[in-house]
Amino acid sequence: MTAAPSWGAVALCTVFVALAVALAHARRLALTRELVWAAARAALQLAAVGAVLGVVFAVAGVPGSLAWVGAMVVLAGQVAGYRGRGLHRARLVAAGSTATLTLLLAIGVIAPVPRAIVPLGGMVVSGAMQAATLSLRQVRAAIDEARPAIEARLCLGLSARQAFAPHTRAAARTALIPAIDAAKVVGLISLPGAMTGLILAGVAPLTAVRYQIIVMYMLLGTTTVTAVLTTYLAQFTAFDAAHRLRPAQAPEE
Amino acid sequence: MPFSMTDVGFDRQGTPLLDGIDADVGQGRLTVVTGPSGAGKSTLLRLLNRLAEPARGRLAFQGRPLHEFDVLTLRRRVVLVAQHPVLLTDSVAAELRVGRPGLGRDDAGLLDRVGLPEELLSRTTAGLSGGQSQRLCLARALALQPEVLLLDEPTSALDGAAAQVMLDLARTLTAAGTSVVAVSHDRRWVRAADSVLVLDRGRLAEHGPPQTLDYLPEEP
Repeated sequence: MTAAPSWGAVALCTVFVALAVALAHARRLALTRELVWAAARAALQLAAVGAVLGVVFAVAGVPGSLAWVGAMVVLAGQVAGYRGRGLHRARLVAAGSTATLTLLLAIGVIAPVPRAIVPLGGMVVSGAMQAATLSLRQVRAAIDEARPAIEARLCLGLSARQAFAPHTRAAARTALIPAIDAAKVVGLISLPGAMTGLILAGVAPLTAVRYQIIVMYMLLGTTTVTAVLTTYLAQFTAFDAAHRLRPAQAPEE
Repeated sequence: MPFSMTDVGFDRQGTPLLDGIDADVGQGRLTVVTGPSGAGKSTLLRLLNRLAEPARGRLAFQGRPLHEFDVLTLRRRVVLVAQHPVLLTDSVAAELRVGRPGLGRDDAGLLDRVGLPEELLSRTTAGLSGGQSQRLCLARALALQPEVLLLDEPTSALDGAAAQVMLDLARTLTAAGTSVVAVSHDRRWVRAADSVLVLDRGRLAEHGPPQTLDYLPEEP
């Protein structure tokens, strides 16, 4: 049995927004307009996405769903690349890394239907984007802060890969920690989103759990591949052919 | 002739940091590069092991253009020790092996050459002073048995006695055929040099034996 809320119930929930606005106003948090704007924007964005997904599910089929996920990959690559700007060709690195999820989709765990491809693909893209973002930030920080150590290794005849290896390892480890921590505490601190949604939609808890385990495992695989590949590719863009660190570029704002 | 520079120039973001450098570095000689701060001295050292690339002119090593050498091999033959010591491992013994893992070595002998006691071999690098770290970095470079040693302000973190050990070591190395190029503001190094390059605002102001120079750095 499903317990889908009506649009009337959704409208009723604006009372929570009104409560937040009233409280923010009373405490002079200077966030009243922000709260209203955020609430309105969330509703509009979700309504728009829901309408588009409806069309995708009904009309576009599997090719349309894959195109949707592909667009998410490009967008995620841009966002992750933006965080690593200042690195040579950061956007290319990020886009290339997030594209690795295509491999995970290809092994057939996800049923080739739009209703599975789009939401699960979105979760994987999001996880990959976070891993790529964290990796690029760590690589950038290493180049900014550990330049003397990297150059000290280069001065002893070590290759760019050898000189940068301690930092690529540290960057990949840092990028993986959130996904590993999330997997460790999943279900203990809060029920994860996919499982919550399925249970609310009336699916049996043990069936919802199967979906959630698949999602967690896919996220662990994707984030690991993304973090390792991002840091691996970044070393090629951070150094030139003569095993020299490229000059520092404009710092992140 | 380890190095010969002909009209060498280097730019950073379009601004010339070095320009029109014509100079030679003699085999088994102590060459000291001196001059006011910001003159381009450290940049000149970085050109010699290809941590930087000249924008103009010809830079040759053993008679061949520098860029014709495999860069990793070149950096084992021409080793640069930076001004600020950076230790790369947790232990003194491991530090000596960074550039040449797996080779037979005389770790105690390396420490002795830079005036550090053998007992340090069992220590971690965490407790070393700035001066000890600087000397350990030099020992790490010597482990590669370089043909040319590039030293950027080798005595900046050392007291008078330790600085003298460094200078004596440089002279010992040159006597054994190693060429040493040192950036230094220390008058003792300038006076002890076989040849001095005086840089001023990126140009070679003077070049020759120390007794022929007008420029002498301030007393330390």
